[in-house]
Amino acid sequence: MPAEVRQEQSPSNQTSLAMMQEPQEIVEETVTIEEDPGTPTSHVSVVTSDDGTTRRTETKVTKVVKTVTRRTYHPVVVSETLVGSKPATPTPGDSDSVTKMVKTVTTRTVRQVPLGPDGVPFPEGSSPLGSYTNSIDRRFMKNGERFSTPQATSTLTRSYNNYSDSYGETPEGPYRHYGLHDGYGDLPDSYGSLSRGVNYRPRYPYMASSGYRPENSYTLPIRKDDYSHVAQPQVPLGGTVDLNRSQPERFQAEPYGLEDDRRSLGPDDDEPYDLESDYSTANRRTVGGANHGRHMREPPRVRGGYEDPIEADLIDDRHPYMPNLYSAPLAQAELGSLASLDRMGPMGGRRSPSADSVRKDPRWRDPDLPEVIAMLGHPVDPVKSNAAAYLQHLCYENDKVKKEVRHLKGVPLLVGLLDHPRPEVHRKACGALRNISYGRDHDNKVAIKNCDGIPALIRLLRKTSDMEVRELVTGTLWNLSSYEPLKMVIINHGLQTLTNEVIIPHSGWEQEPNEDSKPRDAEWTTVFKNTSGCLRNVSSDGAEARRRLRECEGLVDALLHALQSAVGKKDMDNKSVENCVCIMRNLSYHVHKEVPGAEKFQEPSTNQAPGSVGPQRKKKDDAGCFGGKKTKEEWFNQGRKNGESEKSYDTLDLPKRTEPTKGFELLYQPEVVRLYLSLLTESQNYNTLEAAAGALQNLSAGQWTWSNYIRATVRKEKGLPILVELLRSDSDKVVRAVAIALRNLSMDRRNKDLIGSYAMRDLVSNLPSGQQRPAKNLEEDTVVAVLNTIHEIVTDSSENARSLIQAQAIEKLVAINRTSQSQRETKAASYVLQAVWSHKELRNSLAKDGWNKTHFQPTATSQAKGTRSNKPAYDDTTLPLMEKNQGNKKSISGDMIPMDELDPDGYSTIDQKDKDCKYKSGDVSSDLAEREPLKNDTNRKQFVRTNRPAVNLVDTCDVKPQPVDSWV
Amino acid sequence: MSFIPGQPVTAVVQRIEICKLRQCDNLILGFSIGGGIDQDPGQNPFSEDKTDKGIYVTRVSKGGPAEAAGLMIGDKIMQVNGWDMTMVTHDQARKRLTKKNEDVVRLLVTRKSLEDAVRNAMV
Repeated sequence: MPAEVRQEQSPSNQTSLAMMQEPQEIVEETVTIEEDPGTPTSHVSVVTSDDGTTRRTETKVTKVVKTVTRRTYHPVVVSETLVGSKPATPTPGDSDSVTKMVKTVTTRTVRQVPLGPDGVPFPEGSSPLGSYTNSIDRRFMKNGERFSTPQATSTLTRSYNNYSDSYGETPEGPYRHYGLHDGYGDLPDSYGSLSRGVNYRPRYPYMASSGYRPENSYTLPIRKDDYSHVAQPQVPLGGTVDLNRSQPERFQAEPYGLEDDRRSLGPDDDEPYDLESDYSTANRRTVGGANHGRHMREPPRVRGGYEDPIEADLIDDRHPYMPNLYSAPLAQAELGSLASLDRMGPMGGRRSPSADSVRKDPRWRDPDLPEVIAMLGHPVDPVKSNAAAYLQHLCYENDKVKKEVRHLKGVPLLVGLLDHPRPEVHRKACGALRNISYGRDHDNKVAIKNCDGIPALIRLLRKTSDMEVRELVTGTLWNLSSYEPLKMVIINHGLQTLTNEVIIPHSGWEQEPNEDSKPRDAEWTTVFKNTSGCLRNVSSDGAEARRRLRECEGLVDALLHALQSAVGKKDMDNKSVENCVCIMRNLSYHVHKEVPGAEKFQEPSTNQAPGSVGPQRKKKDDAGCFGGKKTKEEWFNQGRKNGESEKSYDTLDLPKRTEPTKGFELLYQPEVVRLYLSLLTESQNYNTLEAAAGALQNLSAGQWTWSNYIRATVRKEKGLPILVELLRSDSDKVVRAVAIALRNLSMDRRNKDLIGSYAMRDLVSNLPSGQQRPAKNLEEDTVVAVLNTIHEIVTDSSENARSLIQAQAIEKLVAINRTSQSQRETKAASYVLQAVWSHKELRNSLAKDGWNKTHFQPTATSQAKGTRSNKPAYDDTTLPLMEKNQGNKKSISGDMIPMDELDPDGYSTIDQKDKDCKYKSGDVSSDLAEREPLKNDTNRKQFVRTNRPAVNLVDTCDVKPQPVDSWV
Repeated sequence: MSFIPGQPVTAVVQRIEICKLRQCDNLILGFSIGGGIDQDPGQNPFSEDKTDKGIYVTRVSKGGPAEAAGLMIGDKIMQVNGWDMTMVTHDQARKRLTKKNEDVVRLLVTRKSLEDAVRNAMV
């Protein structure tokens, strides 16, 4: 005390001139202060005085205050402080001494403040409960009083001015301010906190809080209440805070003092308070946040909007002081806003240490994850939707958050919201689920499934007509469908709905087309893209999935219609088309085995398919070839139906039904060939190209009637040149799919001859030459596929073997056989060489070129690894989806690869049959022979020769006379 | 330009007016046509849809009236003086173009570049 006194005196002298005005005010204030304990007015006055003094005293003060606070209560001191403060202003040096003074003062004030609300004002501190509500009113009252008093206002202004001056002088400026405030603390409660914000609080934690409370509760009573239910579980601290706050009021000194100490003890005064404010305000904040979820989502907008109303209130309160605050050179304004936030508690909630939130608007603190998730259960709908929206934002490209949401049981809550009647709620929930379901972490997907998310999504899809929601639902399903175990679940719950709700309407397909209206085009909407992507994924889930999709009413029809429409509009590069083609390709896989009634169409493997060879040879053959079939009434000559010109192609007769085909039967009708060929011709999308080639590959596999027709139709439609052209594609997988398709197509003898004659160079050019890879650097699988195709073509056809030799392939083959790093390539090349060598009539010319038998025999290494006859030696494991049952007669024919998943890598282009037959079967040639028993050799050769001059890869039989071209 | 049977065909067309060049008794347009419903559409190197049996410009003589008028190889002729050319035989088309009593033929033609241009413009 004595020290203080000294200081006071000395400063006062020095500053006398400048400070003169203040002293008067201060004096007044002091007086009031003394009264404070009893009356609210006193607070006000105190505040004013504080401002003036505060600036001068500073950091030191704060620390001191903390300790001091508990110890001393001297109303009298206050007056002293006031006095001291005046002198302090003049010189910085004085300020130090002042500080001490301040300290003492502060203590007193602080206590007074708590006491004031509790004991003095209304409840007199006796009733804790009452204090809350009552206190609020009172405080307001107090505020009103303060404002009402002109003196107070005036004093403030002056004091502020003084401060500014002092700041200029002292570098520590801000700190000092606070210190001063503390000293005057009592008054500031409402006032000071509002204007200066955070800094103040440290000093008056309790004061402030008490002061704040009333306001908060006052302004946002409802929210607070609402919140409390929800909020508490979320923010455990909230409860404590409340206690603390309430306690101080009730019990005044002790609890209050303790809290203060801790906080003040912290390295920074501000920090402890910040924390406190967080805690205490947490409830409110959350509430506020929830209510104003938009803010969270769109921070800038929301906050702005948010503040406005509140600020307005604040401004009203502060109004009298406002000018002072803003006029202060110290740029107090900002602090002031902060402070107001804190006060506002509900609004800002902001003090969280997290730098992010603070940086934009210090008042805001983003709710943490548990809070957000808890808000999903909030009774107020906008809170739910905003929480979900915020969750979506948080989960975006952040696997960690997704995982956390899962651990915090957020997924079931979101799924539950899908059935919420309000659009914005289920929309936002769905958006969050979509993000959560995205990514490699399948656990999230499983979590959605485990709480029946898939049926819920389907329900929502059925229920809503909102495009955005539909996009979100289908997008989520697309994400979910990438995980194998969920595929069947999606099929079980959603296949027909997805088809009826999305695929069919968007494809433009009409079950019963109106004759008058022209067919509708497909709409490549996002919904359609998502849905087709989902179905594309699920269609790869094995035979049962394929069966379900094929038998799904309208699906195949709609997909085909959509693709036709795409071809018609020359719009074939988009993702939807890709998805559709991939579904078609998958559904075409193993049609010859899996389609109901397929056995009726099986051709004995030993018989040449009538469609493939017979009809093309000569028209005369037609009758004979179809003799057996004609007993089946359904067959009739399609050529006739298509008109004269087509008939002249000498096409094979296609089976036709009296009723239009529909459903899965469409998959393997020869009509689809033209569709796929159009795609192969027009599309620039590698995935689409690959899928279209894969579809042809699948359809041309197998020994059943339809695959024979398909093979012949491809030729008839001039598909071979298109496919061969694609062998030059830059895309590895396209080359692979095309090569395998050609291999399957070459099961048709005519195709084999044509391919052998005209495609050999392109095939060979895809082979690596020795160690050197060609520019394209194709993958092993592709090289193996090409080699297998060559093998297929060369086998049993010395003519083709000759063109292989002419294509300079032997050198490459030998090089691969001897030097390739890949065992599979080595073996495949070895087979080709053996097949070539088996043509005895070629050995002479081979010898002339310098080759001998050793070049065509399996190398020692390959033999060591295992002879061809040794199935297990082949690395089947690298061949996805292969069937191991070579015994199956059907596997003999080229099967296709089902394609898969969205990711390009997911597609396995490898031909099952290929593997089975070529790699596994010991005696390849015999295998082939079984498959395609040769017809009369001489006949064939003659035929072939005559054909060769014809247009490239177009069967002469199918070709019309050169078209007329007339000058005009 | 492709079509679906039974569906109206829409195409971006360009009007081309060719004044025939008289050489002695002959009126010359200076281009040749291919295609027609009696021809094999598959051999038409210009059509995108190989089932298109329309009439296509197969050659254009250098410096001839057709070239001057802007006709290009590969153009598909949709109409000649208002007559449809998409469903005619080759000979019908030829006759329609070579009427002795007409000095001017007005063509509607379409070509891929036109469609592309329009599509791009719409984008």
